[in-house]
Amino acid sequence: MDKILLKKALPQWVKKLQAYRIYAPTKDEDIWTYEVVNTPEDIDLEFLTTALSPKKIIFPQREVYFEFEKPDVDNPDIKETLPEDDPTIVLGVRPCDAKALTLTDLVFGGDFKDVYYWKRRNQTYLVGLACHTPPSPNCFCLSVDGSPHSKEGLDILLTDLGDKYYVESLTKNGDKLLNLAKNLFKLPSAANKKEYQKIQAESEKNLKRQITNLKKVPPKLKGMWDSPFWDDEAMSCLRCGICTYMCPTCHCFDINDEVLSSTPLKGKRIRTWDTCQFPDFTMHSSGHNPRPDKASRLRQRIMHKFQYFVETYKNYQCTGCGRCITKCPVSIDIIEVLEKVRDYGS
Amino acid sequence: MDHNTYIPKLAKIIEIKDEVGGARAIKTFRTQFLEDNGFAHQCGQCAMLSVLGKGEVMISISSSPLLKEYLQFSILKMGRVTSALHEMQIGDIIGIRGPYGNSFPIEKWKGKNLIFIGGGIGLAPLWSVLNTALGKKKDYGNLTLFYGARTSGDIVFKQELDELKNQMTVHLSIDVEEPEWEEYVGFVPLNVLDKKPSPKNAIAITCGPPIMIKFVIQNLQALGFKDDQIFTTVENKMKCGIGKCGRCNIGLHYVCKDGPVYSWAELKNLPQEY
Amino acid sequence: MINVEDLRKEAKRILKEGKVKYVIGYERDQNGLLPKPAFIKDPDDVDRMIWDPTCIHNLTKFLVDEKKRKAAEKKPDERPVGIVVKGCDSRAIVVLLQEKYIDREDVHILGLSCENYGVIDEKKLAKKLKGKKAEKIELDDHGNFVITAAGGTIKIPADELLAERCLECPANFPVVYDLLLGDKKKKKVDEPFKSLEKMESLSENERWSFWTEQLSKCIRCYACRSACPMCYCDECVVDTINFAVTADTTATEKAGKIKWVEKSPAPSENFVYHMVRAMHLAGRCIDCGECERVCPLDIPLRFLNKKLEKEAKKLFGYMAGFDPDEPSLVSSFKDEDPEDFIR
Repeated sequence: MDKILLKKALPQWVKKLQAYRIYAPTKDEDIWTYEVVNTPEDIDLEFLTTALSPKKIIFPQREVYFEFEKPDVDNPDIKETLPEDDPTIVLGVRPCDAKALTLTDLVFGGDFKDVYYWKRRNQTYLVGLACHTPPSPNCFCLSVDGSPHSKEGLDILLTDLGDKYYVESLTKNGDKLLNLAKNLFKLPSAANKKEYQKIQAESEKNLKRQITNLKKVPPKLKGMWDSPFWDDEAMSCLRCGICTYMCPTCHCFDINDEVLSSTPLKGKRIRTWDTCQFPDFTMHSSGHNPRPDKASRLRQRIMHKFQYFVETYKNYQCTGCGRCITKCPVSIDIIEVLEKVRDYGS
Repeated sequence: MDHNTYIPKLAKIIEIKDEVGGARAIKTFRTQFLEDNGFAHQCGQCAMLSVLGKGEVMISISSSPLLKEYLQFSILKMGRVTSALHEMQIGDIIGIRGPYGNSFPIEKWKGKNLIFIGGGIGLAPLWSVLNTALGKKKDYGNLTLFYGARTSGDIVFKQELDELKNQMTVHLSIDVEEPEWEEYVGFVPLNVLDKKPSPKNAIAITCGPPIMIKFVIQNLQALGFKDDQIFTTVENKMKCGIGKCGRCNIGLHYVCKDGPVYSWAELKNLPQEY
Repeated sequence: MINVEDLRKEAKRILKEGKVKYVIGYERDQNGLLPKPAFIKDPDDVDRMIWDPTCIHNLTKFLVDEKKRKAAEKKPDERPVGIVVKGCDSRAIVVLLQEKYIDREDVHILGLSCENYGVIDEKKLAKKLKGKKAEKIELDDHGNFVITAAGGTIKIPADELLAERCLECPANFPVVYDLLLGDKKKKKVDEPFKSLEKMESLSENERWSFWTEQLSKCIRCYACRSACPMCYCDECVVDTINFAVTADTTATEKAGKIKWVEKSPAPSENFVYHMVRAMHLAGRCIDCGECERVCPLDIPLRFLNKKLEKEAKKLFGYMAGFDPDEPSLVSSFKDEDPEDFIR
């Protein structure tokens, strides 16, 4: 169902959502991040992009799998620590970040569903905010089968019409959230609908960057395994991990035991983010490292996102948010790299 | 509620055998689940062994699925978790989760001659399929084992190998001459070339140090084996064991989920990143 | 004013004569105003090299990379590497020389003086431009930066755009070099360590709250460590594995590596990581500011290192990275060293 919500009524709707834990973009000096917001008046959706995507809410940097203890002579005891029941709403999710969650869904589902991911995922509702001007000078969602007004992965999509939002409920959960404040939502007029379509069309034109013919890249990559191309491109890489940590589609992680006490043994098994860009990611205990240099690791990142994932899931593992380009300390630009791959050898 | 595969099942160590001593020590552990029968596995599959407080390590299950009483693992002392395992005593409790990975396609091998080629600790992943074939001997053709280690002290399953000689053809070897060693002296791939097993209606399964596998495959090809007649298992650093953490990713595959068993026909098309 | 052609000419010469393997410099990033590191191998490529107040990066980290790469090669090319450095960057090279991590013969240093200015802080620039994209930035003769953006030009006094560390800079021209372009006049700095004043005026509780809040943002991406030229250890306190393993390292040795910091970003672990890193850089940090620049969550890391830099000066009269022959502070002892901690 399509509705209209006046911007000044937004805090009132949020007041009705108090049963949920609400995340919204919050500004700290110059950086926006999704934080829990306790007062509806503090909700401000006039933001561009966040440093970290909402992935961190569903796939947090630190997830405790279980606690273990071994009291003296008894057998050890393992206590599963699933995420708490905590229905959550994330306000102001950009379409690229929502689509990214549908991609991480593919990874964490399948055989052996990751119960921690899904507990959080199934109790999180996403209220998206369509883009008009690109949130980042490096956005390129259209090139990777996305769009500034894509509905993928969202429960509700808001489109900014100036002093009001055009509200589209996309799922039953979206309906539920709107029904909590029925009186605030009006039916859109014909003029509203026209404005909405105009904004959508403009948003696509406003996008500043693109990669043409990206579909040439996956087959091209297949033949570039041994190419010296990767050595040249990775020369300036600092292997800092920023590109993958900021990326809304990246999902690599590590599992470690953290011991609080040795005797009696007490501790936790904890999952943390990890990145294929760190030198120790693939290192065997023997010291053998299948990816010992930056070139092979850059090659892995590009191939995984634009060839392996494509062949397995028929989707690029990239939604064009541009964070990796903006934040890379040495300006390694994934669009440039892909264009070079596309044109390699010609 | 979906089953949480990350939670290990507790199991007791019921037997520990010192296979090889010294700096590259190997011990064989037999474990029994505390609460129930744990899980059933197929030849070639692995399990994540947990030492609570230290971490986990993915080890191939070397006991045959025909054996229900215990699970057997042979573990080379290499780093933090394996060192902790080597410190353990009979009666100690570890965690086991699994079974993970794919298995040897033994159904497709019925009626064929099976040639097992192992080096060092590499005999352990082959042990399950070797013993399954022995247990169902009439389903398969001739069974042959080529096995070698650096020195006679590095040979695993010494006792079992002696008994095996009565049930199938066994060709042992060590890398360097030793007094009282009467069998072949030289690397395993050369022993294979020396004994010339026939590729006719045969499947070769090899496991061992990467360099040994490379030359075994070369020599098998020289003997006329086709790429889809040669099988091996791949090792890679693993953490989740279920194809999600990204660590063991090779090309389109995760070794923990789509491997570790591969025919050379499949493996040669994957990036050689392991 | 430096003429970039002089830089290009020298780079071309050393490449043509085969004196260096490649030259590390700055080139324009196609996508924006800021430059990116360039690795020039071909003498005919030197026109890619640029020099202007946007050249913020400290390129000396790539010298550490080069050393590690050579160590992994069987027959490495032993020729030196050419590198473009500013004053602060050259101090990083001097620290690497003091610590004998590299030899003087490993580098051919192309030094550029910042003269009376320095480099711009891109965050300050973004604030001034309010969303407009800068195309070009130049210094005029009156101490202003002239920025071309969105069809017009904006004039901003240099001090409002310069990186914080440039305002307190003790080395506005390289201290070691094979070639020096630009003025060799020391910049007058009235108050070194002025940026610490506000932090030092806070009470201990206020400082604790400040850092608790800031460090809770940390996602342990280790970009700060990766960008720092002085963080070159193969065996780092924060890694769970030791990179300096060989086929001979025993399992017991590997198992024995102590986990000083857990991998997960719990507040306590984040604190320990940053404090340990700051302590390991005490007396070594030359304030290139890279750690703070690269942090994706804008954690003000410079304060930690700057404070220790001030302590090193106060207690030992020592400033890192000025004299390659001077023993490193943390690995030497002088009779006059203060002993008031001995009770």
